Amino acid sequence: MAPRIGLKSLEKRRTLIDGVRSNLHVLAIGVKYFVNPRRMTLVYPKEYPRLSEGYRGFIILEKKKCISCAACARICPSAAMKMIRVMEPDPKHPEKPRMKQYPVINYQRCIFCGYCVDVCPTEALYHVNYHDVVYDNLAEMFWDLDTFQKEPEYKTALEGRPVRIMVHEELGLIKVPVGEGG
Amino acid sequence: MSGEVRVYGGWRDDLGLKVIPTRRLARDVYEVFIGPQHPGSGHMRIIIRVDGDVIVEADPDIGYVHRTMEKLGEIRGWIKPIPLFERMAIHDACNITLPYVRAVEKLMGVEAPLRAKYLRVLLCEINRIAAHLYGFAIFGVFLGHSTMYMWAMGDREVFIQLAEELTGARLTHSYPIPGGVRRDIPQGFPDMARRAVKYMRKRLEEYRKIFLDNPVIRSRLEDVGVIPKRLAAELGIVGPNARGSGIQYDVRIIEPYEVYDELDFEVPVYTEGDALARTYVRVEEIRQSLRIIEQVVEWLEKKPREPIVDESIYKKYPPLHKKILESQGRAKLLPWMATMKVPAGRAIGRGETGRGEIIYYVESDGGMNPYRVRIVTPSARNAIAFKYALPGHRVMDLPAIYGSLDYFPPEADR
Amino acid sequence: MSLAEVAAAIIGWPPVWQVLVIGFLGSLVIAVLAVWFERKAAARVQRRLGPYWASPRLGGLLHLIADMVRYAFQYPIIPRTVDLIPFLAAPIAGMVIALLPLAVVPFTSNPAYWPLPPSAMEYSLLIALAIVTLPPIFIIAAGWASNNPFAVIGGVREAFIIVAYELIAILGFLGAAASTGTFNLVAIVEAQGGIMWLAILNPLAFLAAFIAIVMSTSAFPFEIPESEPEVVAGPFTEYSGLLYALNMGGAYMRRFALSIILALTFLGGWYPLVPGEGLLMGYILPSVVVVVKAVIVVLAISFLRAVYGRYRLDQALDLAWKILLPMALAGIALGLFEASIGLT
Repeated sequence: MAPRIGLKSLEKRRTLIDGVRSNLHVLAIGVKYFVNPRRMTLVYPKEYPRLSEGYRGFIILEKKKCISCAACARICPSAAMKMIRVMEPDPKHPEKPRMKQYPVINYQRCIFCGYCVDVCPTEALYHVNYHDVVYDNLAEMFWDLDTFQKEPEYKTALEGRPVRIMVHEELGLIKVPVGEGG
Repeated sequence: MSGEVRVYGGWRDDLGLKVIPTRRLARDVYEVFIGPQHPGSGHMRIIIRVDGDVIVEADPDIGYVHRTMEKLGEIRGWIKPIPLFERMAIHDACNITLPYVRAVEKLMGVEAPLRAKYLRVLLCEINRIAAHLYGFAIFGVFLGHSTMYMWAMGDREVFIQLAEELTGARLTHSYPIPGGVRRDIPQGFPDMARRAVKYMRKRLEEYRKIFLDNPVIRSRLEDVGVIPKRLAAELGIVGPNARGSGIQYDVRIIEPYEVYDELDFEVPVYTEGDALARTYVRVEEIRQSLRIIEQVVEWLEKKPREPIVDESIYKKYPPLHKKILESQGRAKLLPWMATMKVPAGRAIGRGETGRGEIIYYVESDGGMNPYRVRIVTPSARNAIAFKYALPGHRVMDLPAIYGSLDYFPPEADR
Repeated sequence: MSLAEVAAAIIGWPPVWQVLVIGFLGSLVIAVLAVWFERKAAARVQRRLGPYWASPRLGGLLHLIADMVRYAFQYPIIPRTVDLIPFLAAPIAGMVIALLPLAVVPFTSNPAYWPLPPSAMEYSLLIALAIVTLPPIFIIAAGWASNNPFAVIGGVREAFIIVAYELIAILGFLGAAASTGTFNLVAIVEAQGGIMWLAILNPLAFLAAFIAIVMSTSAFPFEIPESEPEVVAGPFTEYSGLLYALNMGGAYMRRFALSIILALTFLGGWYPLVPGEGLLMGYILPSVVVVVKAVIVVLAISFLRAVYGRYRLDQALDLAWKILLPMALAGIALGLFEASIGLT
């Protein structure tokens, strides 16, 4: 049980019969797939993949859990996440507002590496399992604190049919339709 | 005069005017610029001089996608360069970042636990298959075989799907971190991987029929772009290209890292040194990677789950982190990792990516950033092969040789 | 004479029917169909969907119409460095001449609808083959006039390929003449009668002629002059818009015209239909049968794209001179042998 070198050499094929036979193989396999295409195409907006739960999609903030430690902003490799200060009522002294820091995100820069989610000590950030969201202009991709707490509207789901993509022994990838909400 | 190429540098002539450097070509030689905005060049330029239909001189002109990886690596702390270095070859993400992670681990004095090592190898081999299939796809389109392009890209999707299930991202996995990996395998992953392995074995047979044994393709590759063993050694060519020339060199064997020494696989070596041999090396490597995936998945399934980060890191985990690791198999990062300091020292990380050996030299002065990260990528070492493999061949051999070298400009230019 | 009779007389005049209706209109439709089939067939083999969104129910057929409209309205960029008159004339002349063989081939055994007088009909195969050899000149001219390294290399490659395939095409078709002992296309078709197709009787000549057609219209695996990875679009590198479409369409029209000759010489022509009297039975229906057979040949050539790569130039020439030329000669010998034992 150890890796080893395997010396190999190429088979020479030079006779005319070899040529004819391999030409026939080529045509046979072409016709085989022409007759039975076994398509892999995902007709995207009509059907869209329901990605697994662990997928690293858009990142959403749960403000309640945030302790303003700024670890997410510090670890962000593309400097997409920044801390901002907001005035908000202090739960202990309702009459006195307090200053608190929260992260906001710029989705022009985000590379979806998920470091911020993994570094958050209180699990205040989480991924949703999609990231095909379209914006009309770049300015919308700067998320303020309110937007950051809401999951973005998944417009593909409005027109498309969700499918789950599975690995299949014969066909490679297959699409299994998912029931509504399933 | 014929056959001679005279080069005039820039100088000032008698009137003090700057003479534009020009190059006088030998008679009957025709200069063709293949690239960088050329369907068959990728992000590089190959300047070829042809005499009739035969290339007499070739000059690979690289650097069109230089992104200052080494300099950026010096200003982003220790953990943030991982997603950065992935961008050199995103379809080979784990292979290309693992040596960096291992170099940092050496400096930090941490080591990934055994389970994390197996997980790293698993993703590395998934990546290797995906990278080879990507190479095949480009190769197919270079030879005008569009079916190979589509098939390889489609089958690559199977392995991208595996990687996505494992890491949560299709390409830029950012999977290994100093001291471990970020996720354990999800439920049902072993069966999925086994299905993918079975599927790919069947597909390799069909690849052989439609592409490798296709008389058209075979005649395009046989005895084309021969790099003899001695020349390959002199030029320092690495990876499948060197192994196609009979050089028995693979980092997984000469300096086994992670758990490669515990696995049963072969490193294929062909001695012919032509484009066909290089292609067959890749096919065999896919086959061996499938074997490795099977073994690794079996090990991961049998052994009980254990922490996938180093003991010293796991000790500092708060209860919430431990719970998440147990329930979701997700290893959290600790906040100090963002701004951690690494003890002063120097370390070298080597690894075998899909295209060959990658070397990271990481130097720390004890600060929050690496003092220096030197990266030598396999494509950068293979680029020189163009200069020696092309002359003497026909213009139509250029795509065949380019594709067989599996040269990837973003990786070479860093 | 009523208007309908005048129209029938004009359409029924063989050169008009054959060059304008079958040739021009027919090959426009067939070019669209062939490109569509090429893309769809490749997509099936490649496990894709192919053209789809332009008209999902028609399998994306309208996609090609949209492409044609785009080509027609695209701004044609003509570089300042080109040799203008040949640059403009080459694609147009190439396309027109590609269709000319159709002006001399018979589509029926009814002498009333022959395009040539019966005495000239005796040599119709030779006349058609002579015209077939003309269009490649204009491809070379297009490359040369473009004044671009890639175009020049592409043009030179085309010249090499012409030298290789022309002889094979002619010898291959002459195999049919040898089998039947005549250059008269009508007699060749009649000799095949029903099911004794020359493709079965003389497969060597048929294969040589078929591969020569594939080579001459730069279809895969011989798409060498336009080989994209090295020479961008070969002779057509500097063309854009409608001129580019004419160049590309010219290749399809040539393929179609050659396929018609192949259908007549080797695939039984208008059989199983026996031409009768009158415009419809005597002319239009037989020509439809021939066109259908030719379309099948065109589609078969299109299918090759899905499974083959591209030969290298010297290998294509090698194949032509070392394998196909002896094969075509053997085809002639086989034809003469068959004729001598009275098989045909």
